[in-house]
Order: sequence, then C-alpha cells, then structure tokens
Amino acid sequence: MLRAVALRAGGVLALLAIWWAVAATHLWSEVFVPSPGSVWHQLLQTSTTHDGQRGYAGHLLYEHLWASLRRILLGSLYGVVGGIVLGLVIGLVPTVRALLGPLVTFVRTLPPLAYFSLLIIWFGIDESPKVILLFVAALPPVAVATAEAVRGVHEDYVFAARSLGARRWQIPLRIVLPSALPEIMTGVRVAVGVAYTTVVAAETVNGVPGIGGMIRDAQRYNQTDVVVLGLLTIGASGLLIDALLQLAERRLVPWRGRS
Amino acid sequence: MNKTYGLALGAVLCLGLAACSSGTGAAKASGGGENSDGTPKTLRIGYQLIPNGDLVVKDQKWLEQALPKTKITWSRFDSGGDVNTAMIAGSLDIGLAGSSPVTKGLSAPLNIPYKVPWIFDVIGENEALVARKATKITELRGKKIATPFSSTAHYSLLAALQDGGLTESDVKIVDLEPQDIQAAWTRGDIDAAYVWTPVLSELEKTGKVLVTSKDLAAKGKVTADLAVVRTAFAGKYPKALTLWLQQQDRAIKLIRSDKATAAAAVGRQLNLPPDQAGKQIDQLVLLDGRQQAGPQYIGAPGRPGAFAQNLFSAAQFLKAQNKIPSVPEQTVFQQGLAAKELADAFPG
Repeated sequence: MLRAVALRAGGVLALLAIWWAVAATHLWSEVFVPSPGSVWHQLLQTSTTHDGQRGYAGHLLYEHLWASLRRILLGSLYGVVGGIVLGLVIGLVPTVRALLGPLVTFVRTLPPLAYFSLLIIWFGIDESPKVILLFVAALPPVAVATAEAVRGVHEDYVFAARSLGARRWQIPLRIVLPSALPEIMTGVRVAVGVAYTTVVAAETVNGVPGIGGMIRDAQRYNQTDVVVLGLLTIGASGLLIDALLQLAERRLVPWRGRS
Repeated sequence: MNKTYGLALGAVLCLGLAACSSGTGAAKASGGGENSDGTPKTLRIGYQLIPNGDLVVKDQKWLEQALPKTKITWSRFDSGGDVNTAMIAGSLDIGLAGSSPVTKGLSAPLNIPYKVPWIFDVIGENEALVARKATKITELRGKKIATPFSSTAHYSLLAALQDGGLTESDVKIVDLEPQDIQAAWTRGDIDAAYVWTPVLSELEKTGKVLVTSKDLAAKGKVTADLAVVRTAFAGKYPKALTLWLQQQDRAIKLIRSDKATAAAAVGRQLNLPPDQAGKQIDQLVLLDGRQQAGPQYIGAPGRPGAFAQNLFSAAQFLKAQNKIPSVPEQTVFQQGLAAKELADAFPG
C-alpha cells in the first residue's frame, strides 16, 4: 500500500521534474511550453480577485470547474439511468433489440461536435443543449454494456428464480440487474469518461463559466499557461471522480471477480 | 532497479527529442534560403476570408507574377490568434490579423517579432450592434448580448457600451460564433448582437442597428484588419516586401477603378455571387499606399502615424480584460508600424 503510494507520488514528481527541466532549457518559447511556475501563478490569479478582475473571464477557477462538473454529472446521470433502462429492454426483448440496436451503435459513432450545432438550434445556447449533448454521449456505452451483460446472465439463475416462485416482473429487477451489475459499472465508468471528453465540445458555445470555455478563450489569446492549468484541473477532477466510481463499484458489487 | 533505468532513459529521450524538434524549428524559421536575384525561395502567407484587396491579389495571382522565382504558399486562417501562433512557430512570413490579436502579439509576454506594414481594411459598416427591440444603447441594460470573444467586434461592443453610458456588468455578454448568433437570434435567446456580415445582414432583417464600427471609428475606436510581417523577413528581403506592398496597392486601385472585376475576384474566393461580394467590399474602408503613409494611419519614417495610438488603446482594453499582464509603452506600437518599409514601396 505504502509502496503503491510512493510509486505514484514518485511518478508525478518525475513528470514535474521533466516538465520543469524542458521549460528551463528555453528551447521553446513560453507560449509552447509554459513553465510550472507560470501555471502555478495562473492558478493563484484565476482563484483570486486582482486588479478588479474576478478570476478568469469574471469567474473564479472553482466556479469554472463546478460549472463543467455540474454538466458532466447531470449528463452522466441522465445517460446512466437512460442507458440502463434502454440496455435492459434491448437485452431482454428481441424485437426491441432488432429495432434499437443499430440506432444505439449509430449514435455511438457520431462525433459530438458534428451534431452539437443541431442541438443549439433546437435547444438554445444555455445549459440544456450542453447537458443533452453529454446525455447523448454518455447513454450508448451504458446501454451497450447493459444489453450485453443482460444477455450474458446465466439462464440457470433465471430458471432457479422461476422455480422458486418469482413473479415475471421480479426477474429483471431482482435477478438480471444484479447479475449484470459488474459489467454495467464498467459501462458507467466508460460513460463518465466519454462525458468528460465531450464537455469541452459542449462548452465551445457560450461555455463561460466552464473549464472548456476557459481553455477555449485562453487559446485565442495564446495564454498557454491558462490552457495547461485548465487541462490539469479537469484531469485531476476526472481522476477523483473515477476513484469515487471505483469505490462505489467495490461497495455495490463486492462479488466481482470472485464468482 | 530496472524502473530507475527506464525513467532515466525516458528523460534522456525526452530531452533528445526536444533538441531535435527545436533544431528543425529553427531551420524552418530561417526560411528556405534566397534566389540569385535576392528574392526569397519561399514566401509563406496566412490569409483570411475577408473581402479586401488580399483576396484580389490571391485570385489574380499577382504575387506569383511579381516574384516568379519564389514559391508562394497561401494558408487559410480563421482567427488572428491562430496567425499569432503560426508566427511564433516561425511558420509564416506575412499574415492577416485583426487589430486586437496584433496588439496582443506586440505586447509582453508574446513579444512576437513582427510589424505592421499595411492596413488591409478599416472595419466600417460590416460590423455592427443590432438589437431586437431596443432603440438606444441604454435600453440594453440587463439584456443578453452576443459577440464572438477576442474579436474586433468584442472590442467594439465594449467601446459602444461605454460610449452609451453602460458598463460590462450592466449587461450579460455571451461568447458565440457568428453562425450560433444567427441560431440564437432566430430562437429568441439573445436580445442583441455585435457581429459581422453575412450574419449581420440576416439580423438586420428583424432587428435595428444601434451602432456600427464606422460610427465608433469616428469616435476614435478604430478596428482594422492588419498585415503582419516577420521582422527578420522584412530585414532580409526588403525587395520582396516592397513587391508585396505594391500588389496590395494595385488591388485597392483595381477595386476603385474596375469594381466589377475586383468583385468577381473576391466573389470567387468567398464563393459568393459578384454583386454580393461587391456589397461586402463597399462596407469596408480601403486605403491605398499613399493614404496609409499619412499621419492618420501608419505614417512616415520618424513620424509614426496615429494608428499606434489605436493599438495602444486596444492594449488598455486587453489589460482591462486580463488578457495581457501590463500595457506596453506607446513606443512599442510606434515601432511596430513599418513606416520605413511602406515609404520604400511608395517613394515620393
């Protein structure tokens, strides 16, 4: 345990050292490789009010992060709930599988930026198109994982439950869902990851406050240190959320890998 | 043990790669050498789709004719920020950027070694503030106004609000690209927008123009599309720069004397019918070489023009927006105007 922590800390420190060394050589201009020091300076600047300017573009860093996280969490939540329901139906009802299966695959292959302009026309420029974009992006991984897992549930479980007197409506909720849960949890982690990578696309339109909007704005002014700060912030929050999901997975499906 | 070696190897590899790639970067920045007649072997131009003389020069291939031994590459850019990045990378010799990105480029920390030898156009009626219901700027208090951030329109919007007695916090400004502004306007999500043609023309059908960039220019808030030339290139190939400037001047004169030919050329580049291209050209203020050398614009050697003052106010705006850490001295912008190069191209 201690060794694992030491290894991770060592890895991060080594990366920081390489970054610092590359920046210190001044082989590239500060615009290409901002030094750790200037990124740190931007962290302080964007987290405080100075010269009458509040953080970056009028919002503090944590407000940008919270705006992005809120979109990710809402989009993932709707995507996970919708994906589980859709996946259950697709996995259990062959007719629905034939009808909707190709559609889910179709949506899954669409690049988010390609249909985002349609969402803008339909739903406007505020929060709804952003959350809907993340929902559409997060739904297919969960739906596919659930459908596959449901089809893979051992028939013996279902037969056993029936012969023990389970009612028809009890089978999906009491038998199928718990058996499929390990795979569904993997689908959820993938979905949250997809939502993370999509949030920057969602914030290309009226994205401030939001980390993606902040990065985009900074890019236009060649403020690479702010871009790097935004990347580090969103990456770190992603690690944290994934760790929480892994914890939830261990709590919800403690039997994983032991059957 | 193995891990330590791996890490060390990784670090060495990284540094090695860094050294290699920066080596090629330096080679690129120095350009492809020169021909026997003193012209450069390559000339890399960054252009944007703006209906000014640059597109006439490109369409008529005048530069290729004036510099037959030079390999000329035209790369399209969508924003001045990207032109700045390409300039820093040493991948461009001459580029087009708005006055706002050029100000940013001339200021610390970028300090891009380039200068402004030419003003492609002064923005006129092709950028304007349109409102759905309001008839005066003060009526916009508390309303939602869209504009593409970091653009000349963004700068003009804040200048217009200030002029109308409002501050940035009195309204809600949202960052939208022109096509999204049109969608949001149609849906009724925004109350006003500061944007350019062709979206501007669509908005005018259902809205009212409150102020144009031409009005603001008359009040001293000039926005323009500028040429930037790498200082090293200008120093090494003065003849090529002179020829480049003369082609731009020729394009302005063609637009004035033979509008139909010029409009057709611009229309081909923009995929527009000539009459529409002609209308868009009319909305810009175009200046020939003599006018640009006047005291109002780039000026003469030793007597930098008033345009430096414009870039200085743009720097104050960027500072207030927190986009640059400090406002440079006004002399930085006076030296940023290539008045000598302009005078060499149009003597007498």
